[in-house]
Amino acid sequence: MTPQEVLAKSDSLRRSIGDDFRDRTVASLYEQSQDIACRAVRARGDARWDFDQRIDRIVTSRVLGLPIMLALLAVAFWLTIIGANYPSQWLAAALFSIENAAAGWFEAAGAPWWVTGFLWHGVWRGLAWVVSVMLPPMAIFFPLFTILEDLGYLPRVAFNLDWLFRRAGAHGKQSLSMAMGFGCNAAGVISTRVIDSPRERLIAILTNNFVPCNGRFPTLIMLSIVFVGAAFSPALASIAAAGAVVTVVLIGSAFTLFVSWLLARTVLKGEASAFTLELPPYRRPSILRILYTSLIDRTAFVLFRAMMTAAPAGAVIWILGNIHAGGQSLAAHVSAFLNPFGHALGLDGVILLAYIIAIPANEIVVPTMLMVYMGTGMMTEMSSFDQLRTLLVDQHGWTLLTAVCLMLFSLLHNPCATTIWTIWKETRSAKWTLMGALMPLGFAFLTTFLVASIARFLA
Amino acid sequence: MQAEGWLILAVVGLAVAILIPQAGIRARWRRWNSARSRVLFEDALKHLLDQSQRAQPPTRESLGGALGISGRKLLNLIARMEAKGVLQSVGGALRLTPEGQRHALQVVRAHRLLERYLADEARVPLGQVHSSADKAEHGLTGDRLDELEAHLGYPQRDPHGDPIPHSDGSFSPVDTVPLTDWPVNASAEIAHVEDEPEFVLRQILALGLRPHLTVRVLEACPEHLVVSDGEREHRLPPVIAANIHVGPVADAGVRLAGSLRLAQLPDGREAEVVALDPAFRGFSRRRLMDLGLTPKARVRAELSTAFGDPRAYRVRGTVIALRNEQANRILVRPLEGTGAPMGAL
Repeated sequence: MTPQEVLAKSDSLRRSIGDDFRDRTVASLYEQSQDIACRAVRARGDARWDFDQRIDRIVTSRVLGLPIMLALLAVAFWLTIIGANYPSQWLAAALFSIENAAAGWFEAAGAPWWVTGFLWHGVWRGLAWVVSVMLPPMAIFFPLFTILEDLGYLPRVAFNLDWLFRRAGAHGKQSLSMAMGFGCNAAGVISTRVIDSPRERLIAILTNNFVPCNGRFPTLIMLSIVFVGAAFSPALASIAAAGAVVTVVLIGSAFTLFVSWLLARTVLKGEASAFTLELPPYRRPSILRILYTSLIDRTAFVLFRAMMTAAPAGAVIWILGNIHAGGQSLAAHVSAFLNPFGHALGLDGVILLAYIIAIPANEIVVPTMLMVYMGTGMMTEMSSFDQLRTLLVDQHGWTLLTAVCLMLFSLLHNPCATTIWTIWKETRSAKWTLMGALMPLGFAFLTTFLVASIARFLA
Repeated sequence: MQAEGWLILAVVGLAVAILIPQAGIRARWRRWNSARSRVLFEDALKHLLDQSQRAQPPTRESLGGALGISGRKLLNLIARMEAKGVLQSVGGALRLTPEGQRHALQVVRAHRLLERYLADEARVPLGQVHSSADKAEHGLTGDRLDELEAHLGYPQRDPHGDPIPHSDGSFSPVDTVPLTDWPVNASAEIAHVEDEPEFVLRQILALGLRPHLTVRVLEACPEHLVVSDGEREHRLPPVIAANIHVGPVADAGVRLAGSLRLAQLPDGREAEVVALDPAFRGFSRRRLMDLGLTPKARVRAELSTAFGDPRAYRVRGTVIALRNEQANRILVRPLEGTGAPMGAL
């Protein structure tokens, strides 16, 4: 036989083999491995299985499934809120005392004021803020989250919530990437890889930002404590604050579903793809693996990239606060310029300026705001929430409306630079990256504008 | 003096923007123009082939009507096609040369392979694959087409049931008749649904009638046909029924009779997989097979969520959640004596 004849033969066989030869291949593979397994493996009892089934019946039940999920989420936030407070203060005290000491040495060594200011009150202070505000909540939230993940609970969440995503035209596994987004939206965007359909994956990427990430939680937690928690007795304050944070998360989830629905009916039309989700058996979490995944893979990773962006942002803030024109700092000029626009959104110019500076990393929004309010020209620490309340409410005219609009804006606005960069890396499309950056911003403007206008109209 | 300087700079800048190779406006315009004329050329070939296959000799008028052009544009196109040796015009009638026939079949091949890809892998709804493929079919070279065909596993039919030409231009013959000519009360398998006109196709698909479905004509008269798909009965006007082509039922269809869809299996009941819906292809099918949902595998309905969709099934020792849309594509035979523990596999 010549090679040509072989090719011709294979060509004709290929056409007679039928469409289902792949099916038959898979079926016979399974049949053979089943044969082998039947001979070699003996199954002894089903006790494990029954136990798993009993848990599954409860956590996926019609009545209890969703409440259990919300309760677990609330407990995780509550533990984070009450647990992170003191370590944050200790870290801040330690890091800021290093700043003062170092600045003192620089002055003693005769360095010019702007070198000391730029390096220690600018760059170092930016770093210190981010580390002390972010590290404790992350070091508590990520391990808690990893425990749930390791137990095998998260696939059950995806199972419970799929009906919502199906109605929105999205994939049930989107709830897994949302859960990752609580830690970091960039990590959430990467985790959408578990969704095989490109269309549904894109929906998950574009809406991941509506889950507040770790960098935004400090803002939300601060506002919840200052404006919600303060209205309750001290014993209930942390629970009320956790409740407010859960409410914000629920609003964010509602937005996720609404925007997914909108996308699936406009620019990302298509049919739902295969939803296959394995519900693995429950496992006893391994302590070492939890510590490694949550502290090294997640906490250290997120913290490192936050520090990389916070240091230059700290420098920018210092420059804006220390270069004066016409008797006012640049920061004051810019915020005065942004004020009318901010007012229309229920915010003010300072908040908008803080959000512009915080594009690299959302963590520095609160420090920047405080810096401009106090006119100190550097990012500042506030030692207690009462002082903070005095500064915001009494001196700068914040109302409940400001707090609500700021929470909404913080929840909905554009993702940080790292997330935008990650969207680009995952989609390789300038169009979708731009959409992922600007669409949330548009929603943030629209929502806060509507809320502010309605509130003012009613008042 | 200075104004003139600026003017010269502007003119030079404009000239560079227009003339620069590859990225310049002129180069882009040319590329766009040549792509557009290729689309026109290939659409004309498709029309001519289609008409000659229906034994309706194409004319200048039918070509102009199909492409939406007339006058000089149409004449230019015909002249270009004649110069390329793909077309002969005899009086008002047009005829494809053997060379033209070959070229036209390649365009049809690209169109149908793309339809197959869009329906199976990209999961574009069946009513939209035709128009999507129409847009994408012109950019593919022969090599890319061969790659696509191999990737799809050498499919013989497009999602509507039309045969896909092979690379040498031949194709496996289709042996079907319009539903209107099928004898009453005999079972038939839908082999082919006409993809044009599109609104008729969408109407047919909306009724749930699609290739590979087994149907039975219950009643036929000049005003309407009553067709049963085993679950529901549809009353079709003959003009629509003529767009559905059917053939005898393959053995797979006989096997499927009397089985249940997995989504209908009550909680806690056990069943044996009979088959996967033959119309359910591509990525989603492979995924279900990979999970072990092969014929003769045992499944058991384990969990159900608040609204009964998705549900979780135990198969081969693992619990897999499926939406009802997928579970509906799996045909099972319920087993007696359920509740007994299953083996590890």
